[in-house]
Order: sequence, then C-alpha cells, then structure tokens
Amino acid sequence: MVRHRVHRPATREFSLANGLRVVLAPQPESPTASVWVWYRVGSVNEHPGITGASHWVEHMLFQGSPRYGKGEIDRAVIRVGGELNAFTGTDFTAYFTTVPREHLEIPLDIESDRMTRALITDTEVARERTVIHSEREGNENWPEFRVEEELYQLAFREHPYRWDALGRRRDIETMSAEQLRAYYRRFYGTRNAVLVIAGGFDGTRTAAEVRRRFGPLPPTGDDVRVRESEPGQRGERRAELAGPGTTPYLQVGFRAPALGEDATPATMFLDTVLGGETRLFTTGSGWGRSAEHPSSRLYRGLVDTGIAVRATSEWPPRVYPGLFTVQAQAAAGVSLDRLESALLRLLDRLARDGPTAQEMAESRTKMRRATLLAYEGASRTGFRLGYFSVLKSPRLEDEIFDGLLRVTAREVRDRAAQLFAADQRTVVRYRPTGEGNGS
Amino acid sequence: MVAESHDPLRFRYLDPLDGLRVVYQPPPPGAASVTATYVGPAGWGFDAPGEEGAARLVSQLVTSAAGPYNRVELARRLDRAGGTLTRQCAPESAEITVWGPADAWEELLRLLSLAVLEPRFDPEDVERARRQLVERQLREAAQPAQRAERELLRSIFPSGHPYRTTGTGSPRSLRRLGRARLARFHAEHFTGEGGLLVVTGPAGPEKIRAAARRRFSSFPRAKGPELRLPRPRAIEPVRHTIALAGRSQVDVRLGGPSLARGDVRFPAAFLANEILGGRPLLSRLFQRVRERGGLAYHASSELEAMRLGGYWVAAAGTGADRWKKVVPMLEDELRKLREASPTTAELDLIRESAVGEVPLSLESTSEAHELAVDAAYHGLPEDHWVRWPSVLRQVRPAEVRDAARAAFGALGAATVVAGPVGGPGRGKPSGG
Repeated sequence: MVRHRVHRPATREFSLANGLRVVLAPQPESPTASVWVWYRVGSVNEHPGITGASHWVEHMLFQGSPRYGKGEIDRAVIRVGGELNAFTGTDFTAYFTTVPREHLEIPLDIESDRMTRALITDTEVARERTVIHSEREGNENWPEFRVEEELYQLAFREHPYRWDALGRRRDIETMSAEQLRAYYRRFYGTRNAVLVIAGGFDGTRTAAEVRRRFGPLPPTGDDVRVRESEPGQRGERRAELAGPGTTPYLQVGFRAPALGEDATPATMFLDTVLGGETRLFTTGSGWGRSAEHPSSRLYRGLVDTGIAVRATSEWPPRVYPGLFTVQAQAAAGVSLDRLESALLRLLDRLARDGPTAQEMAESRTKMRRATLLAYEGASRTGFRLGYFSVLKSPRLEDEIFDGLLRVTAREVRDRAAQLFAADQRTVVRYRPTGEGNGS
Repeated sequence: MVAESHDPLRFRYLDPLDGLRVVYQPPPPGAASVTATYVGPAGWGFDAPGEEGAARLVSQLVTSAAGPYNRVELARRLDRAGGTLTRQCAPESAEITVWGPADAWEELLRLLSLAVLEPRFDPEDVERARRQLVERQLREAAQPAQRAERELLRSIFPSGHPYRTTGTGSPRSLRRLGRARLARFHAEHFTGEGGLLVVTGPAGPEKIRAAARRRFSSFPRAKGPELRLPRPRAIEPVRHTIALAGRSQVDVRLGGPSLARGDVRFPAAFLANEILGGRPLLSRLFQRVRERGGLAYHASSELEAMRLGGYWVAAAGTGADRWKKVVPMLEDELRKLREASPTTAELDLIRESAVGEVPLSLESTSEAHELAVDAAYHGLPEDHWVRWPSVLRQVRPAEVRDAARAAFGALGAATVVAGPVGGPGRGKPSGG
C-alpha cells in the first residue's frame, strides 16, 4: 500500500493495438510541448562485435527516412525554435523534441515516421563512423571515462553491462551498415516503445492524433529481455591505469540491486548520505547531479580533510543488478594509497554504525523537497514520466518515494554492511604520469 | 494571452537600493520555483597583479559559509529549504544564484543575502577552495579542450588584458591569497553600486522590493570598481600546436577579439555567429565538419559579447588523423562569413529559429531568469525580450556580413590545436 505519492501532473495513459504505450500529460498553461519516445533498447541488447550499436542507431535516426531527407528532421524542428536530441544508455534509448506548443505536430510526424522507417544507408553509416569515433575520443580524453569503462569491464564478466554504451573501439571500426539495419529492425518498434507527450495541448485531441499517426504502424520489436546473468563475485577485483592527468583518481564499485528491487529505498538513502543526493531525487535544477554537497559524508570525510578535491557516490538506476560506485579525486600531493584507505575506512564506518538520526532526517527532507520541482516545465515532465514508464509505469516513482520515506536507519545500515563487503568490490585506480602536458 | 504584468518576458526595474539595481521578473506560467541572482563587479578581470585567482576563490567561498552558518550548516539550511546556491565567475562579473521551491522564497533570499554580504572565509574553507583551484589549474594544463581555450585567450589578448586569462591564477598567486586579501577583494567588489539583484518568482514586485530592502541594504556605500580595457590592437595570425601525448582527441580553437554587447551591430553579429556555428545542427560549421565531412563529433562557434568588449571562438574536437583537415575548414567558413552576405533563405531559417526558441526559455523559472539577468546586466529595456524578435527580423543579409567583418577577425585571429597532434598515442592501461 503506497501512502506517500509524488505530486505530478495528471496523466492519461493508454496502449495501442500494436503495443505502443502512450502517456499524455497536458499542462494547459505551458508555452511548449515536449515529445519523448523511449525505447527499451540499450547497450544491454548488444553483444561483442556490435557493441555500441544502440548508440550508433540513435545517431542514424537523425539521418533521414523516405519522408525526411538528410538534415530535414533537424531543420523541421529548429526552424520553429525547437530543440531535439537523444541519448543512449545501458537499458534504453530516448529521443526528445521540445517545440513551441503550436508546433506539436512536427515531432509527432517525425517520431511516427522514424520508429519503423529510418534509412540507414551504407554511405551515411560510413560518414557517421568517424563522428562516433570522435565522440568516443572526446570521452577518452578524460581519465574518469577510462576508469569507469575499466571498472565495468572488470566487475562484469557475463552481463552486457561490461561495455559502455559508446561501444568498444574495435567494434566501431568494424560494424557494418547491415548489422545496424538488422539491429534497428529487430528491436525498434511499437512493442518496445513508450511515447510521452507533455506540455500545452488538449489531451483528447492529441490522443486522437496519436492514434491516427501511430495506430497504423505494424506491431514490431523483439523481446528485449536479457538472458545472461552475472555470476556472484567471489573476491575483490582491482586494476590500475596510468596516463596523463592531474592528480590520482579512483572509483570503487560494489555489486548493487536493480531499480525496483526491495533494496531500492535503502540503496538510494545510502547514496544520499554518502554523496549528498541520489539520481531521480536531486535538488539541482538539472536532471543530473547538482552542485557540491558539503554536508555529505564523503565531502566531510575526504574533501574537508584535505585528502580529496572531489568525492561523490552514484547509484545509476538500472533494469538489471548493476554497480554502486564511489569516486574521489585526490588533492595535489595525496597518494592513491592514502586516498583509497581513507575512502574505504569511511565506508566501513557507515556499514558498522549506520547513518545518524540527523542524516536520516536531512536525507528525507531533501528527497521530499526535490520532488516539488521535479515536474517544472514540459521537457522535464516528459523526461521523468518517460523514465519511470519505460521501466514500469509513472507509479513506480510513488512506490520508490514511499519506500524512501519509510526506510529505517537500521535498514540503511544493514544495506551498507551487505553492499560494502570487501569481497564484493572492484577498485580501479588512475595514476597520472605527469608527462605529456605540453609546453 | 498573458497579461503584461505577468509576462515573464517583461521584467521590471524597481527602485535602486543605495546604487544596487533591483529587478523583478514574473515566473513562467505553472512554474513552482523561485530564482534570485546577485551580480557584482567581481570577475577575474579585477584580480590584482600577483593575486590572480582571487575572484574565483571569493565567488566560491561566498557560497560556502556565511553569517552565523559554517559550511555544513549553510548546506543544511539550503537542503531544508530545498534550494541550491551556485556561483559563476567571468572576466567582468561574478554571479551568485539561489534556486528552490517558490514557497521558500523568503528563506532563500535571506541565504543569498548572507552569502553576498556576510561570507565568513573560514580558514579551513579557504584552504579547501585553494586545493580545488590548484587541481583546476592542473586540469587546464592537462585537458586538451581547456588547454586550447586557455592558450587561445593568451594569444589574442595582450598581457594585462582582463580577458586574457581564465582566472585560475597560478600556484604562486594562490599561495599569496590569504583570508585577509580575499576578504578585502570581497569588500571592494561585492558592492551595491555597480551591483544587480534579479528575482524571478511569484511573490510580486512589492514583496520583492520590501524583501530586497530588508536583506540587501547594508552594502558599504563605496562605489563599485570599474574595469578598463587596453586599446584594441591587431593580433598576429598565429597558430599554436600543443602536443599532449596520451590523449585521444585533438581540440581546435580559432578565435579573436570581438564586439561588446552594447555595440549597435550586436544583433547582426549575433545572427552571424548563429550562422557560423552557434545554431545547433543548422550552422555552417556543424554542417560542413560533421554532417558532410564526418570529421568531428562537435563543431561550433560562440560569440562572447561582454560589457566592455568581447571575443569569438570557433571550436571542434577531432581525431589525431583529422585535425589537419578540420582547421582549414574552420578558416574557410570564417572567410566566407566575412566575404559574402548569407542568402535570404539561410538568414530566415536561422533567424526564425532564434525567434522561435524564446518560448522554450519559459519552461522553468531558472531558464526564464537567465534572460532577465542577461538583459538587466547589460541595462537593456524592460521589454527587450518582447522586442527581440522584431529586432532580429529587421536585420538584412548585408548587415550580417558587415557585422561579421567587424566581429569575427577584424583584429586578426589565432588558432590553437591541442592534443595528440603527432598521432593517436593512446595511453595504455598498466597493471591490472
């Protein structure tokens, strides 16, 4: 029984005969309309040889269809002042377009077209290959990316979470246009999609328009469930990378539950106590993490004490069991050993003593306050409704929120003791070589 | 139809408080938050010689601990109100912004006033901020994008120019900046005179005026400092290539000095930049370098028009084997922008896109707030954003070309290339 609910715009939800799920959130006063299509397709649906396919297909869906020539999707939206983009994660891919409300028909036309009719031509795939390479190269310039990629590769041996959504370099070099077309034909389609529309529109008229545009699409999209499961971890794993950079940096990952499992509220609480906030319940004005959190455990224990210049935790919500990570960047002159032992001591203390009553109260307040502004604006509304809908339904947010307000300090402590067990951790350290900084 | 008094595109200048300009902006319809910003003449252009880094440290420290609250207690107060306190430092000014639920607006404004007027500069906070800025200095040297940006500014502005640096200072200058010097910088630069307070939220102008009088009337009466720019001078068309081994991507920057925001040619120069690389997905740089050339993930340009002057930058991130193709493309597009007027069709497309995006800025209080801060900081009329579409629609193609000549490269341009310029040279993991 859910007692505490998040205050969010009223929604109208329905499914079409072809399997497409639709969520409408009319906000009559909004000057904009935001259209989101979330596909339950991400890098978990890939395999070695085609890692990065989901992300590459995402790029190709902007490159045209029989109805929209190359560049015409961008032009159609941007000429009216709209914005559009997409992002690919491990578990899903999302496309969004926000336009002045009177132009809602533009994104509806684009999305209904490219859901099944995107052209993925050999020529465009060849040209996009270097663009994808370049995107990966830009990420590789950051030690943080290299460490995270290594961390997941080390922590997972079977499950597809072991590669990044950008894909492996080798696969980007060799994947063919036909492989991308096959991937798109197999997974993209009405059965794996959720359409979310938020903002200034009439619900009844828009529902009819959605049926008219998306109703005739064939019921496509293979089962996306992942069969591989990751065997239990039996002992610590670690690696050390070396390369250009500023100061020593490390990430520690712990095997963590999937979003929606019973342990979800306690894990989110741990994230908030350690790092100051948890994804989906952040007080920042953006969608991701906000600024520094000086009252958090990691900040007080590592940054205030002069050991680190940055320290935070993260539990990215995932469909399958993933990782809870803790990361820290050393202050100049602090060694990796000192940084790591201080960080692990801090985690041990939390696992032994649990959070204080003050930390519990403050975390609850933060989460409660964060939900007040979570639905400001059509774009944010579309994002948030889509996120929970693609995982389950908008009500999933209420279930988690309710759990967050009920969880006890003891449960959080028990969770920490289980999560931060030494034999469940993976450590990747980055040692800056101090060379190659030019002149 | 939104009544004028509730139109977030129209802000209102309220009566100044001892020189502090106060602005009220109605929130966008349906918005649930409040945003307030103090802007002071506290940018790094004011850093004294040998004390570089002072402005950045001070803007960080005012958001750390203030009035009766140490760093942890201030964070807790903000958390309780559901708010965040952030800062932004630039060459000419520093901005301190508070954002949070509308029902907590009085408490949030109180916390903002404490930060602006009564920062504590606790010794342990000063040490921490200094450590963080040292790491940022290292990052500017080590990361190709930041390094290219830093070297470009050094190449296009002479020694002593306020725009020449990124304000991070050096390890030596930071060592000199003790508590007393930072407190002095704060007293001289977080002033009423020359300062600006902008509040966006549902409280209404009367309540905001009263709250501002209560919270922000204790500034010292001293006049805020003024920044002066050296006379503009032509720059050498140099190209710096900085080899940073072990990275994957090469970052390219091409840029030069440009116009101030108050220049009458600014609207045309704004459109020129949108055509060159400012407008996402449609710009010439994006189309040529990424969409047709397939050479880079990003290619764009930016026109940084400030109160006294400005600069422009064209940027791309590309591979070690591709940057030699990308640099001539950036140079060529710059040349074409300066030589020929855009076609009416191209100008119309870009212009209508810029006009159409204004409603998108009204999705949230914080986005609408940025419009008001920008216009009020530059002393623009209260209905500036209402009139902006017609201002843009009056610009003719030849005016775009003329403005491009004045704003993009009139004094020359420099190019900086930073990254694995000698080849891919990827760092290999060791150990494991």
